[in-house]
Amino acid sequence: MRKSWTRGIGAGLAAVVALALAACSGSGSGSGGGGGGAVTGNGEYAGPKVEITFWHGWTGGAAPTLVPQLIDKFNSEHDNIVVKAVPQEWADIASKLPLAIKAGKGPDVAVLHGDDLATYAAQRLLLQADDIVKALGYTADDFPPGVYDKGNYQDAQYAVPWSVTPLGLYVNKEVMAKGGVKDIPTDKASYEAALKSLKDAGVKGEWVDGYVFTGTFEFQSLLWQFGGDLYNEDVTEATFNSDAGVQALTWMRSLIDDGYSPANVAQDGNIKALLAGDTAFNWNGVWQTTNTAFDGLDWAAAPVPQIGPEKAVWSSSTHWVFPANKGQDENKTAAAATFVKWMNDNSAGWAETGELPGANSVRDDPALVEKYPNLAPFMEELEYAHYETVSPGINEANALVTTAINEALTGKKTPKAALDDAKAKADQILEQNRAKYGD
Amino acid sequence: MRSTVTDSIATAAVAPRQTAGGRGASRAGGPARRRRRTLTAYLFLAPFLVLFTTFVLAPAVYGLWISLTDWSPFRDVQSFIGFSNYADLFRSGSTTHDDFWQSMGATGIFVVASVPLLVVVPLLVAVLLNQRIRAATTFRTIFFAPYVLGVAVVGLVWGYVLDTQSGILNHLLHVVGIQADVPWTVDTPWVWVSLVGVTVWWTAGLNTVIFLAGLKGINTELYEAAALDGAGAIRSFFSVTLPGLRPVMLFITTTTVLASANMFGQSYLLTVGGPGNATRTAIMYIADQGLSQNNMAPAAAMSYVLFAFLAVVSIVNFRLQRERVEKGSAR
Repeated sequence: MRKSWTRGIGAGLAAVVALALAACSGSGSGSGGGGGGAVTGNGEYAGPKVEITFWHGWTGGAAPTLVPQLIDKFNSEHDNIVVKAVPQEWADIASKLPLAIKAGKGPDVAVLHGDDLATYAAQRLLLQADDIVKALGYTADDFPPGVYDKGNYQDAQYAVPWSVTPLGLYVNKEVMAKGGVKDIPTDKASYEAALKSLKDAGVKGEWVDGYVFTGTFEFQSLLWQFGGDLYNEDVTEATFNSDAGVQALTWMRSLIDDGYSPANVAQDGNIKALLAGDTAFNWNGVWQTTNTAFDGLDWAAAPVPQIGPEKAVWSSSTHWVFPANKGQDENKTAAAATFVKWMNDNSAGWAETGELPGANSVRDDPALVEKYPNLAPFMEELEYAHYETVSPGINEANALVTTAINEALTGKKTPKAALDDAKAKADQILEQNRAKYGD
Repeated sequence: MRSTVTDSIATAAVAPRQTAGGRGASRAGGPARRRRRTLTAYLFLAPFLVLFTTFVLAPAVYGLWISLTDWSPFRDVQSFIGFSNYADLFRSGSTTHDDFWQSMGATGIFVVASVPLLVVVPLLVAVLLNQRIRAATTFRTIFFAPYVLGVAVVGLVWGYVLDTQSGILNHLLHVVGIQADVPWTVDTPWVWVSLVGVTVWWTAGLNTVIFLAGLKGINTELYEAAALDGAGAIRSFFSVTLPGLRPVMLFITTTTVLASANMFGQSYLLTVGGPGNATRTAIMYIADQGLSQNNMAPAAAMSYVLFAFLAVVSIVNFRLQRERVEKGSAR
């Protein structure tokens, strides 16, 4: 019995811990008044010496060695700023950051994913950064098209882009050659022709799955290619069940029905199959370029093929934000802004982590592609990439898209029925979000 | 926590009569002495009581309060809204209704499918291990070993085994001539077979060890007497072993039902709740709503509905088995 209590009220327990956390820190020092920080021209900080804290979720891959190196370098170049980084899992940041900021114990600068920005902004957890961004001299043109606006919520800028991570087409060239395919396909005709000749050679050319990371992002890319969008302009209604959405999902389903993909691919089954030489193509994120399992494989990356009438591809983005801690010290925010600018200027090495640096100036430097040639096709895609939806609490609605894809690919529902059901539910969630976060 | 609770209840269950038939010391003392003894007992209980109150009772009550509000972590003031979170759960068409009851249904399927196996399989294994066989300790360790693994490891390992196209299991099936690519983690009904199978593999060892302890507690003279009366192995299993295990059985069925009803990690990692939301369990949905989507109040209400269900199931289970114990002793 006690066990059921313990488990059953886990949510309650978490809340109590959270409350205690808030209460403890509430009694802490409350120096200074709230408000935005000011940077003294050109992104340089000239105030008194400050120590700023920086929260990020880069705990895997090359980041744990790269980030401390960057920070050490920054600290040694700046006499009046000491940056202290606090790495932790993204999930921990999501659960801790709001409460920490409300209690005045949050970081002075943090990195967030694009789909979280509006959620934080709606809760007034972030400083409006229009002045900071202006002082740093940033405009939308300094970043790939569409990314900068992801930091804009209700006509205020809350963020500075840091990195972008588009989807691309990974090709096992050895398998592709087995099917007699010479060139990496770029459009519907060549892609389907390639799949057909692979099929004739006994290879299922692309394995589609109904899970996050491949199926979901492939569907979104196709949705945009067919001229659709996930939501309407002001994000009050889901539109992924439009003709474009149905076309996109029907096309994915047809890969199974036409024998180009096996049925019932498990999560990550497709990238495993590509690495094992069982399939030729996989739509996957730029982060896979750092996957060491590719070593020794004859592979290539390319822009995703254009299946619909428009060029489009899914991408996510990460952004710098300035938390609106209770009693936030303006000097610290100003120092944080300097740090952000410096990091963006010095982000060439960030490509090592399998993400594309957001700053155009860094990405346009030919040395970057020279050092990381695999990133070239992904950078090419940024002209027509689509990013996250700016709306608080949007992830709950986004999750329904994956459910719909899963249902359609496992044959539980037709593509249209699956998307219609998900749309109805998503509309409810959007309405609930408006009540929850205020509109 | 889990193991200490288990141990203490198991020992209590195995040897319940030692104190009842004892010297009756408490009857000997006067009222004042009895009061002092009671006080001493409470003093000994105090440390646990403090922890229990702080980390179980208080959060439970606080959770109840949350479920009656429109609680949001982003607001400073929470307003009382009565039972409307609960009403939503029972009102068809609300945002939570369909998903919640689907997840309760998934939980129900899993409990019904897994509990009988998690009782019968460990019981048989325990009986086998209780025979005088070579290397019994080694076997016991082997059967118990999976239980020490974390659910993340279990999910990862079985993910490789159960993959539709490249999994080891389907590969073995191909070798013996079954050519189908069985979607173990992707489609119904196979997802249920996988989840139950993996759970049995993972946790059966614990129940086995508890059953073993129970078996050791059965007086061997009873078996000798049964053998003299001409009872074979099967007859003595049903007439001596099973009745002797009744207190242990009560404990195991209760904890197993609760553990299965709280299943989370296996479907979170292996099937990702799919296909669609078919294997999304109640705990998975509650955790998603409360912790990921910040719908803490509806999630708290769901927790209490789940708790009510489990309380009723546990009470029914207790009643049924206690009556059997009484009947058994009266005969």
